[in-house]
Amino acid sequence: MSGRASGMSGRAARGFWGEAWDRYRRKPLAVAALAFVCLLAAVAVFAPAIAGTKPVLCRYKGRLHAPCLGYFDRRLEPAIFAQDKFRGSYPQNLREKDPDSWAIWPLVFQDPHRAVRENEWPGRPANPAQDAGRPNRLNLFGTDQYGVDVFAKMVHGTTIALLVGVVSMGLAGTIGIVVGALGGYFGGWVDMLTSRITEIVMCVPTLVLILAVIAIVDKPSIWKTMAIIGATGWTGIARLTRAEFLRLKSCEFVTAARATGAGPLRIMLRHILPNALAPVLVPITFGIASAILTESALSFLGFGPPPPAASWGSLLNDARANLSMWWLVVFPGTAIFLTVLAYNLVGEALQEVTDPRLRESRK
Amino acid sequence: MASYLLRRLLLGGLTLVAITFIVYGLARNMPGTPLTVQLGETDPSRKLNPEDQERMRRIYGLDRPWPEGYVRWLGSVFRGDLGRSFSRKQPVITLIGERIGPTFLVSGTAFLLTWLMGVPLGLYASARSGRLDERASSLLLYVLYSFPTFVAALFLQVVFAVWLRDTRWELPLFGMSDLPADAGWLARAVDIARHAILPITCQTYVSLAYDSRFIKANMEEAVRQDYVRTARAKGAGPWRVLFHHAFRNTLIPLVTLLGLSLPGLIGGSVIIEQIFTWPGMGRLFFESIRERDYPTIMGLTLMFSVLTLVGQLLADMLYCLVDPRVSVS
Amino acid sequence: MRRGSDPAIRAAACLALAAVVGLPACSRRGDDLPQPATTAAAPGGIPASAADRPPEPFDPPPLADLDRDAKWIDRPVRDGLKLLREQQGREQPEDTAAEALALRNTSASVNRRILAALGRLPEDGEADFSARVDRHVPGDLGSTNPIMISTTAEFDILGLTGFGLFSFGRDLEPFASAESVVSWQTSADGLLDKVVLRDDMVWSDGKPITAQDVAFSYMVIMDPRVPVPAVRSGTDQMRWVHAYDDRTVVFFHKEPLATNVWNINYPVLPKHVYENTWEADPTLKESAEHVRLEQEPVSGGPYEIVERKRGQQIVLRRRESWSHVGGRQVRDVPFFKEIRFRIIEDANTALLALKAGEIDELALSPEQWTTQTTDDAFSARNTKVTATEWVSFHFGWNIESPFFADRRVRRAMSYAFDHDRMLEKLCYGLYKPAAGNFPEESWMAPKRKLQPYRQDLDKAEALLDEAGWIDHDNDGIRDKEIDGRLVPFEFSMLVNQQPLRIAICTLLKENLGQIGVQLNVRPTEATVIQDLTQKRKFQAYFGGWGAGTDPDSSENIWATGAGRNYVGYSNPEVDRLYAEGRRELDRAKRAEKYGRIQEILYDDQPYTWLFWRNSFYGFSKDLRGYVFSPRGPYNYTPGFGSLWMPRQE
Repeated sequence: MSGRASGMSGRAARGFWGEAWDRYRRKPLAVAALAFVCLLAAVAVFAPAIAGTKPVLCRYKGRLHAPCLGYFDRRLEPAIFAQDKFRGSYPQNLREKDPDSWAIWPLVFQDPHRAVRENEWPGRPANPAQDAGRPNRLNLFGTDQYGVDVFAKMVHGTTIALLVGVVSMGLAGTIGIVVGALGGYFGGWVDMLTSRITEIVMCVPTLVLILAVIAIVDKPSIWKTMAIIGATGWTGIARLTRAEFLRLKSCEFVTAARATGAGPLRIMLRHILPNALAPVLVPITFGIASAILTESALSFLGFGPPPPAASWGSLLNDARANLSMWWLVVFPGTAIFLTVLAYNLVGEALQEVTDPRLRESRK
Repeated sequence: MASYLLRRLLLGGLTLVAITFIVYGLARNMPGTPLTVQLGETDPSRKLNPEDQERMRRIYGLDRPWPEGYVRWLGSVFRGDLGRSFSRKQPVITLIGERIGPTFLVSGTAFLLTWLMGVPLGLYASARSGRLDERASSLLLYVLYSFPTFVAALFLQVVFAVWLRDTRWELPLFGMSDLPADAGWLARAVDIARHAILPITCQTYVSLAYDSRFIKANMEEAVRQDYVRTARAKGAGPWRVLFHHAFRNTLIPLVTLLGLSLPGLIGGSVIIEQIFTWPGMGRLFFESIRERDYPTIMGLTLMFSVLTLVGQLLADMLYCLVDPRVSVS
Repeated sequence: MRRGSDPAIRAAACLALAAVVGLPACSRRGDDLPQPATTAAAPGGIPASAADRPPEPFDPPPLADLDRDAKWIDRPVRDGLKLLREQQGREQPEDTAAEALALRNTSASVNRRILAALGRLPEDGEADFSARVDRHVPGDLGSTNPIMISTTAEFDILGLTGFGLFSFGRDLEPFASAESVVSWQTSADGLLDKVVLRDDMVWSDGKPITAQDVAFSYMVIMDPRVPVPAVRSGTDQMRWVHAYDDRTVVFFHKEPLATNVWNINYPVLPKHVYENTWEADPTLKESAEHVRLEQEPVSGGPYEIVERKRGQQIVLRRRESWSHVGGRQVRDVPFFKEIRFRIIEDANTALLALKAGEIDELALSPEQWTTQTTDDAFSARNTKVTATEWVSFHFGWNIESPFFADRRVRRAMSYAFDHDRMLEKLCYGLYKPAAGNFPEESWMAPKRKLQPYRQDLDKAEALLDEAGWIDHDNDGIRDKEIDGRLVPFEFSMLVNQQPLRIAICTLLKENLGQIGVQLNVRPTEATVIQDLTQKRKFQAYFGGWGAGTDPDSSENIWATGAGRNYVGYSNPEVDRLYAEGRRELDRAKRAEKYGRIQEILYDDQPYTWLFWRNSFYGFSKDLRGYVFSPRGPYNYTPGFGSLWMPRQE
């Protein structure tokens, strides 16, 4: 593989990925897209610190607590606040129950799961409900028809937007490439078996599976649904991979590799796969990007994330019934568009920097 | 070739049995039966007798274990009888027959349009890769792509059926046809076509971005090959290089994609059909799952599976045609 | 490729052959669809019960004997439209129709004015009898056979094409319809009902409608092979129905119950059409003839189905033979010449269609009422009205689960929920709070007004503490030791996939989270909820009931072991009160019993009652005559029959 051939220039060889990164860095759009994705990741990780009604850090009755972790998991919220009957409302209670307490609050005092009540933060009105919730100083992106702040919902829904594609496509890509490679390379009865498995999975309707899981599982979540989509969506990738392997396995470089004593695994992984990835990367990158759209389609059909969790897709779905509230469409829609664009640009750039032939031609 | 075909057909039959068995098992074992659907919809002030429910279960054959139900269904399929729908009181074949035309009208036209527009777009994008106009058109396609169908459908409805009402650009809001049954066939054809425009548009724009990008990616790779360099060195013009040499070598993934799209032609899109009240297969399938209408679910699954398998078989055979290095073995 | 016969191929071929030959032998005719159960106990199936046998043969005594002994009491025979006219004659609306059309419905008083002005029946010559109206249904008909009715779409459509003897008015009081009945009498002992039909009624194919059709329909409905669960409830309480001649029919009851008057009300099939075909195909939908009838049914009502495009629309046309028989007019001519039911599943598309004038009426959601119908685009063509409906919604607590067996816990749930917030913010201030199954203004509500619950978190916490749910392990969630294990108070609630319902359950989740209880909201399909609640495989669910025309119908919800008693409630006193209420014929005494039932239920809180739903409707400005009952604008007499369109000058 030509990846390690740069000893000529006198610098130490950076390795395959190091070189790929070097080339990647030189594409401004791709770098911008990657930066956007990293920004989203940061938002997802720090979501409770960006928007929430629980303090990020507070000192109460002599001890330090981080109640905002309760947004990740209910059990991470310190129990002392429940015992002292805070009832989920922090600003007034902290001050009343412990005058020495202090707290660091999130950037935006809004809750993604509920509407903020009157005077919850001293001096602030309750969130407007119905169609009165236009974007304003307190509600940057407006509120939905029940009074829940849209900005907070979007910030906390970033995790879903980011990872929903990675989960489903990660699963689909892995299974698909493995199955397709095995079938395409070995041929014969292996190919027959893998093709039949592919066909069976292709023909079993995903909708039935999703409905079955939702009906049976006691705590359905968006991740289980996306896992199902990944576990049934690998068939296209498998077919494409298989076709490529079929085509490439009779090429000269494969015969050469075999002549040097390489085993089948090595040939498949190091020789054929990098050459076969080009047509497969397209469905994978599109798949990651479009998982967000699939997720919003699921919300339309009624299989969205279980309440009160909200995703950008379910926000769009809410918007359908409330056409006059343009902010329910514009903000999530723009966010979805930017994310789709970013993932696709990253995917395109990745394809260009890792394809050996493309690299060759650029020299 | 003949023995290969025979083998594939037999294997296909076994695969079909496996698929239908799995789907039947899933459907029967999910919570909810056709009876709970009826009960759920019944006027809540109607009394319910547990004995009556048992009686109904017996009538529908739901008191039998599900493997037995599957075997009976399979037997009747072999005799050409797909059964009668529980909720619609019609033979499944008639149901499918009613819906397949409208579905194909929308999906088939969308499919044609997508490829008619997508292939040139992809070739154009790969020819002018990296330039401003290509970047701009790519961006536009991505914008289109990131519009969920239900948002776009709603937007189109508002524009064409509400704002443009009573103008010559008006398009119908929903349904397939407004004319009474006795209108002339030409008038009906035009009416149906007008009703189909919005659903077709919704179905086309989604795949445009994907298909053109797919072609572009494959073309980029093909264009880097040595034989293309040779062709250029020999003095072949850019279009000849593109079409005659590079494009033909992207045909394998293209054929795969086409083979995978075949079942989608009669699958239809649930969302589009629901919004536009288009009498298509996607909606039929979704409703039959919701209503636990087992005969319809099984009939539809059987049909889709057959089409999928045929599509795969065709694709496999086309590989041999398209690429001499590939042989069926 | 290898030549010669592949052993694999041979094996597969043998298998396939075996499959093709063997399988048909295993199956019976017609796959796993409704099979006529020819014997009482199907082999391998569930043992048969009384429901599998037709009613025992009954030898009716001669009519002369009945007339001699029964001491007949006359019962009301009314014309619904005339009743409405009399009622409206006593009222005088504030505005004219033109003024009312210009109003925008923004408050209860405006709503009343619009209803008063636009709900009036036409004066002579005002109505356009050649008008056509476009109505909306959210789903298609399952069947055009009147005894197979189960969905709301079917009630709407088949209510116009079907024939029946009885009905009820706005006050939900039953009467015999003057359009089909001459006289209706009940025997003094309450065991007999005698009806004399009019002799001037014909089916849409020209054959006369007779008492034989009524008796025949009873037989078909009661036959165990015919799959009709919905219509049968009620008819199975009778002993027999016998037609003594073409005009006289007598209903024989098993016991003298107050509910007998509802059991005699069932849809009627034409005997001459079905008598030769129904036994061969009791499912009424498989044989070629029955399939043809599904497409072109014979109707006995004022309208007949002339076109049926599945999944798209159903067109009804007024039939001459309803109002004119033998050349003379014998009944009022229905106002509309043609009614087109347009099927639009998607709510948004339907609203757009109403705004565009493609449909003339639409049931609105509270969201659409508040935010989507206030603009000029809507008011240009339409107006909207609302009225209370006797449908209430609740959280149901499974009493058999370890969480909700204790009454204190259930009451804690009712105290924890922020009812005010739900009513104001989620329901847009449009609904009234509910405290029980019977609405305040009904005759069966208790004299002492039951106060709807309001949120009191302190009380809720105190009740939970009392019931033993305390946070023992300091993780913020209450728990209790049950059978040696520490069980956290975490449960799930089944709810339909509708945004408002999900929002209400989410509000409960938030409220419960404030007091240390973890609720997981599970939106699922309606059929799954139905299935799981029937099998008692749930902890809590969100549901609703209509109050029904007779309070006895709620026995099915509260009696021990009853069919709709999903929460597993059991109280011998309630059972006793229901049994007595059925037999009590004095209205005031009946009301006492049902009032007492309500009070007991209120104390026990097997449900947390939430609100009474209003019906919201958008009507085209061309429509007049819509009048609301507690069952909506159409589910009573005259129902849709009172709507009309004025003549365009």
